[in-house]
Amino acid sequence: MKKTIRIALAGNPNVGKSTIFNALTGSRQHVGNWPGVTVEKKSGWVKYQDYEIEVVDLPGTYSLTAYSVDEVVARDYIIDEKPDVVIHVVDATNFERNLYLTTQLMELGVPLVMALNMSDMAEKAGTAINRASMKKFFEIPVVRTVGSRAEGLEELLRTAVQEAETSPHHEHAIGYGDAIERTISGLVTALGNDPALAARYPPRWLAIRLLEGDDNAKGKLSGSPAQAHVLALLNTPDLAETEAAMADRRYEVIAALLPQVCTTCVKEMNSSDLIDRVITNRYLGIPIFLALMWGAFQLTFAVAAPFMAAIDALFGYCAGLLASGTVEPAWLGSLLGDGIIGGVGSVIIFLPNIFILLFILSLLEDSGYLARAAFVMDRLMYAIGLPGKSFIPMLIGLGCNVPAIMATRTIEDKNDRLITILINPFMSCGARLPVFVLLAGIFFTADAGTMVFFLYLLGIAVAIGSAWLFRKTILPGKPAPFLMEMPPYRLPTLATSVRHMWDRGSMYIRKAGGIILTGAVIVWFLASFPYGVEYGSAESYAGMLGHLLQPIFAPLGFDWKIAVALLFGFIAKEIVVGSLGILYGAGEDEGTLAAALLADPSFGPVTAFALMVFVLLYMPCIAALAVIKKETGSWKWTLFSVGYGITVAYILALIIVHIAPVIIGRI
Amino acid sequence: MTGTMPLSFLSPGTEATVVDVRADGGLLRRLVAMGIYSSSRVTVVCSDRGSLIITVAGTRYALSKGMAMKILVGGYTHETPEQLTGERAS
Repeated sequence: MKKTIRIALAGNPNVGKSTIFNALTGSRQHVGNWPGVTVEKKSGWVKYQDYEIEVVDLPGTYSLTAYSVDEVVARDYIIDEKPDVVIHVVDATNFERNLYLTTQLMELGVPLVMALNMSDMAEKAGTAINRASMKKFFEIPVVRTVGSRAEGLEELLRTAVQEAETSPHHEHAIGYGDAIERTISGLVTALGNDPALAARYPPRWLAIRLLEGDDNAKGKLSGSPAQAHVLALLNTPDLAETEAAMADRRYEVIAALLPQVCTTCVKEMNSSDLIDRVITNRYLGIPIFLALMWGAFQLTFAVAAPFMAAIDALFGYCAGLLASGTVEPAWLGSLLGDGIIGGVGSVIIFLPNIFILLFILSLLEDSGYLARAAFVMDRLMYAIGLPGKSFIPMLIGLGCNVPAIMATRTIEDKNDRLITILINPFMSCGARLPVFVLLAGIFFTADAGTMVFFLYLLGIAVAIGSAWLFRKTILPGKPAPFLMEMPPYRLPTLATSVRHMWDRGSMYIRKAGGIILTGAVIVWFLASFPYGVEYGSAESYAGMLGHLLQPIFAPLGFDWKIAVALLFGFIAKEIVVGSLGILYGAGEDEGTLAAALLADPSFGPVTAFALMVFVLLYMPCIAALAVIKKETGSWKWTLFSVGYGITVAYILALIIVHIAPVIIGRI
Repeated sequence: MTGTMPLSFLSPGTEATVVDVRADGGLLRRLVAMGIYSSSRVTVVCSDRGSLIITVAGTRYALSKGMAMKILVGGYTHETPEQLTGERAS
C-alpha cells in the first residue's frame, strides 16, 4: 500500500526553488492556477520508497504577510491545505536574508525542512554554514542541495518523509519579550473562545499577524464570536510601535544566531558591483539595453528563418496533397486545405520566431540582466505614468501579446497592472509582421525596412501615449515606486532557459491553438457558403459581410475585400494576408497577390500605409482578448480594449489618408 | 536631525545605517522582510539622479528615487555626500 504525502516548497524569489522543483518532479508536472487568482500553481509528483509525494511549488516570497497576491497564496496554502511538510529552500550564498522568512514559517507551526540550496557556490565563495548548529538552534533539519546538479535531493526527500512521519513536532517560536508576549497570550485566550477559528488557524500565529496590523488576518475574524473581544484588545495606541518592535526582535534573533551557524556569512560581495555600475550607468544604461534588444531581434529573425521555411514547406506539401483532390468529399478537402491549413498554418509558421525571442528573453532574465533593464527604464517609464516593471511585458509583447499580458502578474499595484495590460496590444507582435512585410514590400519597395521600423516605433509611441492618457483620465494615480531585487549575475543554464521559454511559449500554443483553429473554420465557412458560390467571392457570406462593412471603411479608402480581411484578422492578424490572398484569387502565393494588389486601382501606397497602421493598432487578436479577460477578470475592460484600439486605429488611418497625399505631392 | 538624510542622497560606495522607514502597512512589511528596517546597514552600489542600487546583508535591490526618499539613514561613512547639493531642490 503506497502512502501519499504532500510537500510544499517555500522560499524567497531567486533562490533556485523552481530548479529544485523541476529536479524533483521531472516531467510529472501540472501547471494550473491557484483558485480565485491568476497566480500560477505548479504541482508535480515524485516517487520515493513507499511514498507517492505531491510537490507543490509555492510562489517566491520574502515574507508571509499579505503585501502581494503571491504572499497570500503561499500562506493560505500552508494554513488551509496543511501540507505534511514545508521545504524551505534557502540561498546558501546569501544565507542571512532568507532567515526572516524562516522565522515566519516557524511561527506557522508547520513541519519544516530547510534546503540549503546553491551550496556549491557558497562553498566556493568560502561560506561555511554549520548545519548541525542550525538544527540545534532552529530545530529544523537542514539538507545541503545543489538544485542545478540535482545534488542532495535523495537526502531532502528522506528527511522530508521522516519529518512528515514524526509527531508531535517541536515548535520553536521566537519570544517577543515580556510586554508583547503578554498581549499575545491575551489574544490567544480570546481567540480560543472560538474553537472553530482556533482549529483552523494556529492561534499564536494569528495573534502575531493581528498585532502586526495584517488586514488579511483581520478579515479572517469576520463572523467569529471572538471578533469583538479580539478587536478590543487590538485597539491600543501603541500598536505601530509593537509592530516595529516585533520586526526588530526577529532580526535580533537572526543577528544573534547568525555568527553561531555561519562565521563567514557577514561579508561583502563585490563581483557584481562593476557590472552594475556600467549596465545601469546614467548614459550607458539605455544604449546598452537598446543594443542588446536590437541584437535579440536580429538573432531571432536570422535563426527563425530556416525553421519557418521548413514549416512553410511542410504545410505547402500538405495543402498540395489536399488540392490534388485525393480527399473526398471535396468540401472536406477544402475545409482541411483552405480552412485549417490556411488558417492555422499561417499562425504556426510564427512559432519559431516567438519561441526564439522568448528563449533569448529567458536567457536575459535568468542571467539577471532583465531586472537591471527594468531598473534602467524605470525613470523613463515613471515619466509616462508606468512602473519600471511594466517594461518587461512590453518587451515580450514584441514577440506575442499573450505571454506578455500574463507577465504583468509581477506588478503589485492594480492600476499599474491594468494600464500595462491595456497598452500591451499596441506593441507590434510577430503576427503583424507578415502584413507589414507584404504591403511594405509591394508599395514601398526600396524603403520597406524603414517603413516596418517606423510601424514598430509608432506602436510603441501609441502605447506610451495611451498610458499617459489613461493616467490623466480613467486610471489616475502615480505608479508604485520601484523596489525590486537585483539577483546576482549568473550564467544561465540551457535547461533552465529552455524550460522557462517552454513555460511561456506553450501557453501560447495551448491558448491560441484552440481559438485559432475554431476561428479558421468559421472563416472558411463564411467564405465557402451559401452552397455553390466561388470560394471567397463577393457572393459568399464573407463577401456579403464585406459589403455590409464597406461604408464604415470607405473614408479610409478600404474596399470590401480589405473590410473582410480586417474582420478575419481579428482571429489572428496574420490571417489578413491569407484573406487578401483568397479574396484577390491569388491563394497564399505572395508573388501573385503582389501583382493583383498592384493592378488594383483602388490600392495605392497611401491605402497600403493606412491599412498597415490600422492592422498595427486595431483590436487585439482573439487570443490576446481571451487573456485580457482572464487577467483583468472584467468584460468591461476587455470591451474597452477593443473599442479603444479600433478608435485609435481609425483616427490615425484617417489622418494618414488625408495627410499622406499632401506630403507625397510635395516631394 | 543632524546626521540623518534620505537614502537617495548618498553617493556610491557609501555605507549607512537605516534610522527610519517612512512607509506604512504592506510596503513597510515588505521592506522589513527584504531586510530594510531601522538599524540595518545598507551600502550604495550605484546611484543615478537619486535612484539607487543598494546591498543589504549581501542582497542587491534597486530602488527608485521615490522609494529611496522614504528611507532615512544616518551614520554614513562619507560625511558630505556629493549629491546633497543640487538634488535637494528637485
